Amino acid sequence: MVDYDVVVIGAGLGGVTSGAILAKNGFKTLILEQAEVVGGCCSTFDYQGYKFDTGASIVMITQPLEEAFRRMGKEVRDYVELVPCEPIYSVHAYDGTKFTIPTDIDDATEVISRIAPEDVEGWKRYTRIGLDMVGQLEQMMTTPMNTLSETARLELSHPGMMKYFPYFLRSHQGVTVQFLKNPVIQSTVAFQSYYAGAPPELGLGTLGFIALCEHLGIYYPRGGMIAIPEGLRRAGEEFGLEVRFNQKVEKILLEGNMARGVLLEDGTEILSRIVVANVNAKVTYLKMIGPDNLPRWAVKAIDSYEVAMPCPMIYLGLDTSPPLDAHHTIKTGDLEQSNRVWNDYYKKGIRPPMGGWLISWPTESDPSLAPEGHHVVNFVWGGPAPYGLLGDNWDRLKPAFTEEALKVFESEVMPDLHDHLKVVEVSTPLDFERRLLTPQGAIYGLFLDFFSSAMFRPHPRSRVVKNLYLAGASVGLGGGVPTTIASGVITSDYVLKDLG
Amino acid sequence: MKKSRKLMALAALAGSVALWFSLSESTRRYIVHLGKQVPYLPYRYFI
Repeated sequence: MVDYDVVVIGAGLGGVTSGAILAKNGFKTLILEQAEVVGGCCSTFDYQGYKFDTGASIVMITQPLEEAFRRMGKEVRDYVELVPCEPIYSVHAYDGTKFTIPTDIDDATEVISRIAPEDVEGWKRYTRIGLDMVGQLEQMMTTPMNTLSETARLELSHPGMMKYFPYFLRSHQGVTVQFLKNPVIQSTVAFQSYYAGAPPELGLGTLGFIALCEHLGIYYPRGGMIAIPEGLRRAGEEFGLEVRFNQKVEKILLEGNMARGVLLEDGTEILSRIVVANVNAKVTYLKMIGPDNLPRWAVKAIDSYEVAMPCPMIYLGLDTSPPLDAHHTIKTGDLEQSNRVWNDYYKKGIRPPMGGWLISWPTESDPSLAPEGHHVVNFVWGGPAPYGLLGDNWDRLKPAFTEEALKVFESEVMPDLHDHLKVVEVSTPLDFERRLLTPQGAIYGLFLDFFSSAMFRPHPRSRVVKNLYLAGASVGLGGGVPTTIASGVITSDYVLKDLG
Repeated sequence: MKKSRKLMALAALAGSVALWFSLSESTRRYIVHLGKQVPYLPYRYFI
């Protein structure tokens, strides 16, 4: 006798997507969320009247989101209003050059030609190849590629992708320098490897084209990033999806090597035909199942994954408009500096003294997130920063770190910051770890490179524990809004195939 | 015959070493980074 057909652990994007689709298909589905709201890394919280996004700051590549709603016979626009962001980002380069990148590729080429005329031809080749590849990848995102046969089937159905295979084997930096020679333009493109939590020289080569995805359009959901998982939840609830908040799952219950439900922190047992874990795979296998219940080789496999780099986030509420001109503003370091952050500092547990930063300005797209005339800004500075600090810890460092970050924001972005600063809140990697159950606070989940993606990432249909499925940043194509939604679609497909 | 095989093996080794040192430091770090994961791939595939 079971209480539910499906219990989903975690209401992050992968969890609400798979839960909603399964509910639509007639499964009695319950999502258990430890927080008070949906979304996980893609959420929004209220702090003294200002609404801040927890982690994710925009959505690009909307195909998986559209597909998720399509699987429920619904349209995105009826649940989420996506506001286009234009221009896509502004750059403060390490050498003092400042420029803004528009969405339109021809307009962007015009900008490149002013800054780096020598790179125009390379940029055109980069965009021609990249846009074709990204266009094909977009269509493939909700198709599984978790086994050799699935990958072969996918390649056969998209023969045009075969010629791009070498880019999967190369590093992000390798792809970047193949096309672009100007160090400022290189650094602008390579910066985006941090969106996957990896330095340019180690990140997955295809992510070298991630900058181009933004030229397909970037969007901000009205109401904050939480509007996306909220929309999915509302759609799912129309089919009977149940979501319970403040419910922390302690263990996945097993019968032999078969999942049969979950045990909550308060001792409650909820039995189900299957369990979908939308938490980090390391937490799923090593904590919720436990090494004693797994074969040694499986423990070895899970242990072998590195987590993506975490980064502290500073949330600022201002009583005036910040001097910014795009939803995103980035300060880049050159390629060497970007890699040194990983090699010389991150790996040694030292906070890098130099630093690029990223600013998101949500109220530029949706003024309703702050009191009238006020603004919210997310400032990612001092990161990617190590979780394990040599001789220190984030709880102790937090006040000094906040002070230092505000000084940087004041000197490099907004000289009159202190006259306009109304609220400050900070999430360190330790805070992210506590709030999101993600080891080391790595919001992008596991590190993403060729040997830890697709078929080499934990499988969405567990091969070690029967009736256990995984979704989220730990599986498939890794962290990010479109990829985690895609993981939810794929996971629900596996369940439907097995139980439908 | 044996001698020529030895010579060929030595040439291949020397070529590999030369190729390795002709790569940029970044590329070498990338290869090492991937290489370290190779022993785990069979386990990862089946997890």
